[in-house]
Parts: sequence; structure tokens; C-alpha cells
Amino acid sequence: MSALLPQIRTVVSMNILSLPQRMWMALTTLLAVAIVVAVLLAFLAMANGFQTTVKNSGSDALGIGLRAGSQAELNSGLSNEQVKLIVEAPGIKRNADGPISSAELYVVVGGVRKSTGLEANLSLRGIELDGVALRPGVEIMEGRMFTPGKNEIVVGRAVWRDYENFEIGDEIRLGTANWRVVGIFSANGGVYESEIWTDVRTVQTQFNRGNTYQVVRFALETPGDVEKIQAYSDNNPQLNFDISTEKEYFSEQAEGIFNIIFYIGWPLAIIMALGALAGALNTMYTSVSQRTQEIATLRAIGFTGLSAFIGTMVESLLLAILGGVLGTGAAFLFFDGMQGSTLGSSFTQIVFDFQMSRESLVSGMQIAVLIGLVGGFFPALKAARIPVVKAFSMQH
Amino acid sequence: MNDFYLIRKNLTRNKLRMSLNLFAIFIAFFLFGALGSIKNAFDAGVDLAAADRLVVVNSISFTQTLPVAYANKIKSIEGVRKVTWANWFGGYYQDPKQMAMTFIVDPESYLDVYSELQLTDNEKNRWFNNRQGVVVGEQLAKNYGWEKGDRIPISSNIFSLHEGGHTWDVVIDGIFKGETEGVDTSYMLMHHKYFFETQAYPGEWLGWLTVTTADPELNETISRAIDQQFANSSAETETTTEAAFNKAFIEQVGDIGQIITLVVLAAFFSILMIVGNSMMLSVRERVKEIAVLKTLGFPSARVFIMVLAESLLLACVGGLLGSVFAEVMIGGLTQVPAITRIFPNLVITAETWMTAVFLMLLLGCLTGFFPALRALKLKTIDALSKG
Repeated sequence: MSALLPQIRTVVSMNILSLPQRMWMALTTLLAVAIVVAVLLAFLAMANGFQTTVKNSGSDALGIGLRAGSQAELNSGLSNEQVKLIVEAPGIKRNADGPISSAELYVVVGGVRKSTGLEANLSLRGIELDGVALRPGVEIMEGRMFTPGKNEIVVGRAVWRDYENFEIGDEIRLGTANWRVVGIFSANGGVYESEIWTDVRTVQTQFNRGNTYQVVRFALETPGDVEKIQAYSDNNPQLNFDISTEKEYFSEQAEGIFNIIFYIGWPLAIIMALGALAGALNTMYTSVSQRTQEIATLRAIGFTGLSAFIGTMVESLLLAILGGVLGTGAAFLFFDGMQGSTLGSSFTQIVFDFQMSRESLVSGMQIAVLIGLVGGFFPALKAARIPVVKAFSMQH
Repeated sequence: MNDFYLIRKNLTRNKLRMSLNLFAIFIAFFLFGALGSIKNAFDAGVDLAAADRLVVVNSISFTQTLPVAYANKIKSIEGVRKVTWANWFGGYYQDPKQMAMTFIVDPESYLDVYSELQLTDNEKNRWFNNRQGVVVGEQLAKNYGWEKGDRIPISSNIFSLHEGGHTWDVVIDGIFKGETEGVDTSYMLMHHKYFFETQAYPGEWLGWLTVTTADPELNETISRAIDQQFANSSAETETTTEAAFNKAFIEQVGDIGQIITLVVLAAFFSILMIVGNSMMLSVRERVKEIAVLKTLGFPSARVFIMVLAESLLLACVGGLLGSVFAEVMIGGLTQVPAITRIFPNLVITAETWMTAVFLMLLLGCLTGFFPALRALKLKTIDALSKG
């Protein structure tokens, strides 16, 4: 037993030092593993980035009221009377001026993307000044807030960065009117950064919406608790609201797209990992067969089968781990912080950043190590079973 | 003993290595087929768009409506052949999560313009004369197990009925099929008269119009004429070809096609390396045998072809197995409603198959060429004297 450790050390170093003889095979395995890991990480970063963006947007302290059954802001419609009634519900926070709330109107307008020069849908949100104060984390980065009643807009950071003609002072045509950009705002990297805001009454006028709204937001007395407000709406025949916290609303919106990205990414990575596994097995079987005589000779002079087994396993794991590290590095270099955008449930753009999470890095290395383990195990078993007599036979 | 016998024997000499290579190639082509079909599903709207069809939407965005009068005004523009219009309904079946995409249309003109939607004359007539009737796409009907004659509740997440509630009762008068496999049939069409009689908002409106032109060459002129007619009105229009409209929509979803191409490329690249290396190795191991063959009088060219044929055979067998498996799996997936709701028309097209076969040949040639070249250039004396 005491001899085992030095034996293993010897065999491992022989395995590793002989790698240059199999350089191309070894590099193949390494690269195949790296590609699998990079693809998996790219998908996970996309799913993760999207989810973070959408989740960051929702606050527990905010309630949101939509017309029952409408699911998304774009589909909803509320009359002025309904909005006035619902904000009186118990459970909504009040200050000296009454309930803290914002009735909002949401229209889809076109913007030209800087990267492609193509038009994409953007959300123009009519909002009350209370609505700005309501949302935690919203800050004017440059310029100032819009003045109610004027055709002035403030632009989310992502829109300002990715779309043309949204610099402060620019005049831009949205719908049938011209608007002046007066400020740029950030919102914790959330969905709102993909929006354009202005005064709700101006939107009503410029887009012929009469005195209607689509959604009402309000501050909650107890964060997370909307039950009293829902009950108030259910008991009043004039009202038919679906009330949820903003956080719940956004998680629900994010779920579908997150699932698609997530459930394409994983199966894809697993299938590609199987391909890489075939490569790893090939490499390691070759390694073992090239060293048959060497291993048998070691056995003849008293090395154990276990040392041959471990030598092969270590070689395989080393290749896989190097591949994993390479793939992770490449994924970081190319994908981390990369920008993606997709259509949200209201047919408007949501811009998000690819984001590597610690869990996805762990997943990437796990898949690499797994390829190394399985890809090394069977060849290692073969190595451990090489009969001593092979040492004395002619090659092949 | 013919050449094929030798090729086969060489290929199967190391059964384990051959199986592993076959498996790697199998995976590559399986991915190619499966991902190709997803890409097709996204691109179908563009590829299948009719060249003579234009889409007219509100210039603010397609979520804004247009006045009903626009249909007749556009009809009188020179070069316009047919006009139809539709409205978005935002439909779901029983539970808001169970989407059932529904358009509110004028039945006769809609089916006239969208001639790729196929119904029997009997079904058409019944629907034209039944305001409560709907026609349902084959795929959508399959998703929810609906059949002709069924009375179903369809709810809207946008509109309400006069009498309250959001659920319309409709009868399925027919189930339409697509003219070709790729045509999307995951939606249903509802009678506009029934909808406007029963819904609660005042007035009528159009979501968008589809126009066919006498000649695709005229598309641009007609588009401009339409947009000019409504310029400076309270509802300006934006007219594009159907293909451009669909493309713009797909591009907004994100560049799925590009991501898929990148992944397939990555998979191919790694498999090319795996198989190529292993071919090199097996030729290296066989150096002596090749020398013997040459000594026996096999011409170099014949040896070259034999080695190349070996890798071609490997690539084609693995590739075909992978493609067939992808076909079977996609066929299976299209039976799963949860999948077809996300990707309504998954299909491996003939074009994808042709590309796959081309790639098999390419893979075989690329991986076999250098080993074959080595065999070709092999000096008999050197090889036999080694070791």
C-alpha cells in the first residue's frame, strides 16, 4: 500500500509527459469540451440575463391593476372612473394628496436600431409624476424629467444607447407628433430602461385615447399584500381588476421566454456533450493502446492495475478540465455583457445583458468534468486490465 | 475480393473506434436536422410569404387600428387586385395560459387573398353563412383536440362582450390545412360581423389590411400610393411586402437564425476534428498494409480512393442515421401540444435534407483527404523498412 502513491505519481507523470505524442488527439478532446461548455454558458447567460433584467424591474412594494383577464399591459383598458375608484381601495398607501398612484397608458412606437438600421417596436409609456417617484431605483442620469403637458420625453438608458436620435435635445417623431428628448434615466438595469416615458395626458391627446388608461400602479401599505385591493375590486360591480404586485407581474411575463431559452440550451449542451464524449473516449482509448507495452512493462515490474487506471483517469480529467476552463474563458470573453434583445409580451423590445452567474459557471465545469470522468473511465479500465504478457509480445 | 470489401474491412477493423466516430457524426447531423427545423419554423413566414401580397398597418405600430373605410379606399387604387382585412382578437381557450391565436376577418375576401389555406367548398359555404362559425387551423385543432362541429368557448384578453364577460361561443365550421407543409395553421379565423355585433367598444375598426397586387413589380409603386393617400390624416399607414413585414417581426424576436447557425457550426467543427483525427490515426496504424497493397501492384490512385471512400462511407452512414433520427424526433415532437404552441410548424424541409447530404459528403472528403493523401504519397520502401 505504501508503494501505491509513488506508483501513481510515476504513472500520472508518464501519462502527462507523453501527451505531446498524441497532441492532436488531445487537442481535439480539449477543444470539443471547450465548445460544449461555451455553448452551454452562452445559453445560460442569455436566460439568466433576461431573467435578471425582468426581475429587477418588479418591486414588491408596488401594486399593479389591469383589466381582468388581460394579462399584459398592452391588452388592458381602463376608464378614468375605474381608475379613480380603485385607488381608493384599502391597502393602498396614501399621503397628504391622497392615494399614491399612477395611471398609465402604453403605446407601441417605432425606433431605429443603431446596430442594424432596422425599425423595432419601442414602448412609449404615459405616466404620472407620482409614477416616477413610485418606482424604486429610477434615476435621471442626464438632463431632467419631462414637464407634464409638453411634448417632452425621457428615455431609458437602453433605448438611448441602442437606438438612433435619442440624444438630449433631439426632436423625434413618435406616432403623429414630434417630441423633444429632455432626459435619460436608469432603472437598475430593468425593463424600464427599454422604455420611453412622458406625461400620460399628452399621450392620451396625441394618440386619440380619450380619457382612458391601460394600467394603474400604486404604493402598497404592506409590501406584497394585494389581497384587500383585489377583494375591493371583486366586491364592487363597477370594477373588474386583476391586482398583483409588480414583482409577480414581471416574473410571470418573464417566465415564457426564460423557459424557451433555458430548455433549448440544456438539451443542446447535453447532446453536444455526448458528441464530445465520443471524442474523449476515442482519444483515451488511443492513449491506452499506444502505451500498451509501456503499461504492461510497468505491471511486470510490480506496478498495480490501480495505478494504470488512475494514470489514465487523470489524463482524461486533465484534458476535460483544461477544455472546460478554455470554454469558460471564451464564453466570458465573447458573451458576458453582450447585449440581447427580444420581444416582450406586449410586442415591444426588452433589452438585456448576457450575464454569467456563478451557478452556470459551476454547471459548465460539471459538464466538463463529467465528460472527463466517463471518457476516462472505460479506457482506464482497459489499461488496468492489460495483461503483463503484452510487455513481451511484439507490437500489435 | 473487390475494393468495397477492403474498405469495409478497414472501417470495421477497430469496431470501437468506428462506433465512436459514427456516434459523433450521428450527433452532428441530428443537431443539424433538429435545429434546422426550428430555424425553418422561424423563417417560414418569410419564405412562404407571397410575392404579390402587401401588408398595410398603422404607421405608429401594428397595435394601432385603422378606420374601416380604408378597405374601399385602397381597393380603388390602381394596380390593387384584392383587399382583405383582419383584427387581432387575443384569444385563449379556457385558461389564459392556453393561447388560441384568433383573427377577426371578413371570411370571403380573407380566404380569397390567403389562398394557401385550404377548405372544402362545403366547409367554406357553411362558414360564410354562419356568423357564429369559425374555421380552425389543423395544428390548433390538434393542440386542443377540437373537431368539426364542436361548440367551443373562445376568450379574449383584450375585448369584452356587450352583455359582459370575455368569452365568445363559436362553432367550428371547418378545419383548414396548409397548401404546403410549412404553412402555419396554428390559428383560427372568426367572423367579423359576429364580433362587432357582440363586442362592447363603440364602433368598428381594422387591425391591418392585406392587399394583393396585379404584379409584384408594382409593389413599390402601390405601397407608396397607399401611404400617400393617408399621409397627414389621423391614421397614417405603413405599407410593406408581406415578406418584409414578417422578417421585421422575426428580427425583433432576436436573431435566432444566427444563434442556431453558430451552434451547428460549433458542433460540426468539433466533430470534424474528432473524426478527422481518428481517420489520420487509423491510416498511420495501417502504413505497413498500405505499403503491402502498393507492393502488390495497387496503383496509388486506387489506394487514395479507397481511403477516401472509407471516410465518406463513415460520414454518410453516421449522417443518414442522425438525419433520420432527427426526422423521427421532430415528427414525434409535433404531436406534443406544448411544443407546437411554441413552434407551430416544425418540419425538416427537402432543402434541409439536401444540405445535410451535401454536408455528409463534405465531412467525408475533408476528414478523408489528408489521410488519403498520405497513403497516396507513401513510399513503399520507407514504410516497410520502418520498425
